[in-house]
Amino acid sequence: MSAARIRVANVTRRYGDHLAVDGVSFEVEAGEIVGFLGPNGAGKSTVLRMLSTYLPPTSGALEVAGHDVEREPLAVRRAMGCLTEHNALFDGMRVRAFLDFVGGVHGLRGARLAERRAWVVDRTELAPVMKKRISECSKGFRQRVGLAAALIHDPSVLLLDEPTHGLDPLQVVAFRDFVRELSPGRAILFSSHILAEVAEIATRLLVIQGGRIRLDAPIAELEARAAQQGGTLESIVLDAARETTAGAAS
Amino acid sequence: MSSPADVPARSTHDHDSASAARGGATAGALTGVRLVAARELRALFASAVAPVFLIAGLVLLNSLYMNEFFLAGRLDMTPLFDALGVLAALLVPAITMRLWAEERRRRTFELWMTLPLAPWQVVVGKYLAALALFALFLVGTLPVVAMLVSLGEPDLGVIAASYVGALCLGSLLASAGLFLSSLCRDQITAYLLAVLAGALFLATGHPRVALVVDGMAPDLAVGRVLADSFSSLPRYEAFLRGRVEPASLVHFVGWTVAFLAANASAVRRLRP
Repeated sequence: MSAARIRVANVTRRYGDHLAVDGVSFEVEAGEIVGFLGPNGAGKSTVLRMLSTYLPPTSGALEVAGHDVEREPLAVRRAMGCLTEHNALFDGMRVRAFLDFVGGVHGLRGARLAERRAWVVDRTELAPVMKKRISECSKGFRQRVGLAAALIHDPSVLLLDEPTHGLDPLQVVAFRDFVRELSPGRAILFSSHILAEVAEIATRLLVIQGGRIRLDAPIAELEARAAQQGGTLESIVLDAARETTAGAAS
Repeated sequence: MSSPADVPARSTHDHDSASAARGGATAGALTGVRLVAARELRALFASAVAPVFLIAGLVLLNSLYMNEFFLAGRLDMTPLFDALGVLAALLVPAITMRLWAEERRRRTFELWMTLPLAPWQVVVGKYLAALALFALFLVGTLPVVAMLVSLGEPDLGVIAASYVGALCLGSLLASAGLFLSSLCRDQITAYLLAVLAGALFLATGHPRVALVVDGMAPDLAVGRVLADSFSSLPRYEAFLRGRVEPASLVHFVGWTVAFLAANASAVRRLRP
């Protein structure tokens, strides 16, 4: 069993003839916030969906909290909190009922459920919409409901697919603080296609393009490299992506 | 999202580590089923499906029965259960058609598949919700029993057996409809397929249909074989005559379990 909370080893995923993820490998330790950066269609969501047990890999191995994603999907789902790309929720349910339902299937009952519900509602500022149906919530509130549901069982691994999508600028700032606060002891992997956002939150950067990992380095190291070369983080990331693409082509 | 300063320190990660190490806490198998069933039943009532099903179905069924009751003038509920068989084949698919097709359309299927619930728990939970709604529909016919009892001495044994038969038929139709819903993205297609399946289960037991099918290939006697070994109609009618036969129970329970198992397998295969 690996010490890493998230372990992806040489994973490939095909959709018919299309190779969406091509031999991807990386690990995320507890306490790390890893930003998964790449353009639309690069393979970010596919990797996250494989980790969440929704998509089976074509080949390779994925582990979450020491559990194999294909062999022990239920153990993986218990250990992780997941905010999916489209954040599809049960729209007809009221927010409170939805959180209680998700907490319930994670085995939370009575006082423990009330304590965890109060915590996530407080942290995601959902109090004003607790009695509303999810379908009546704004996009920002829906995103927060999804985040609250992902956190209600106090998971040790968080998978967040485009988590700031739909949040206003103030909410994005608050989200960054919140994720940093959640980080100790947790492995957090979140996807984005915005470098500035990733650089603000993450401790490490993974760049994926064309289904392959093009760059995997701590943000601090990349910033130091940028300062040394008189460039920017953006130029370092773009250079790395170009070099690996050119290398692969040759 | 509030700032970190105004919040107590999050629960210790010792809990997380221990939780992850042992696979974490989760709802027991039956608790999971109960939670899914309760959620689905609430969802049926939150939409127009349950009220329309209950009100329209009961008005139609009771009207058909009362017409027959006043014409025949007998303290007998058989005409109600005869009509119920056909009505159930038309109305139960209206409950089940959305149960999976809607999840796929709204992309909430992915949410189900990332919750710590096995596919069979979700399938059985959805089936129980549909069956509970059908049982509620049957409860809506109890005033007829009260009326017959107040007018004389109907055969309560036959009536009780008929209710068992109706619940068995509802169970088969609900499990078949749920399974067919998992094969469709579109609710209308799911409804039509489920009505067709219900019609097959019932019509194949009708003597005229059996004769027509037999006439197509007299040597094979397919119509008779279907009526004897496949159709639910003769078994349902046995309940209406007051006979609760083990073979009939095995027929309905067997088909229900088969459809639920096929449904759980189909849900597993629905992952892209």
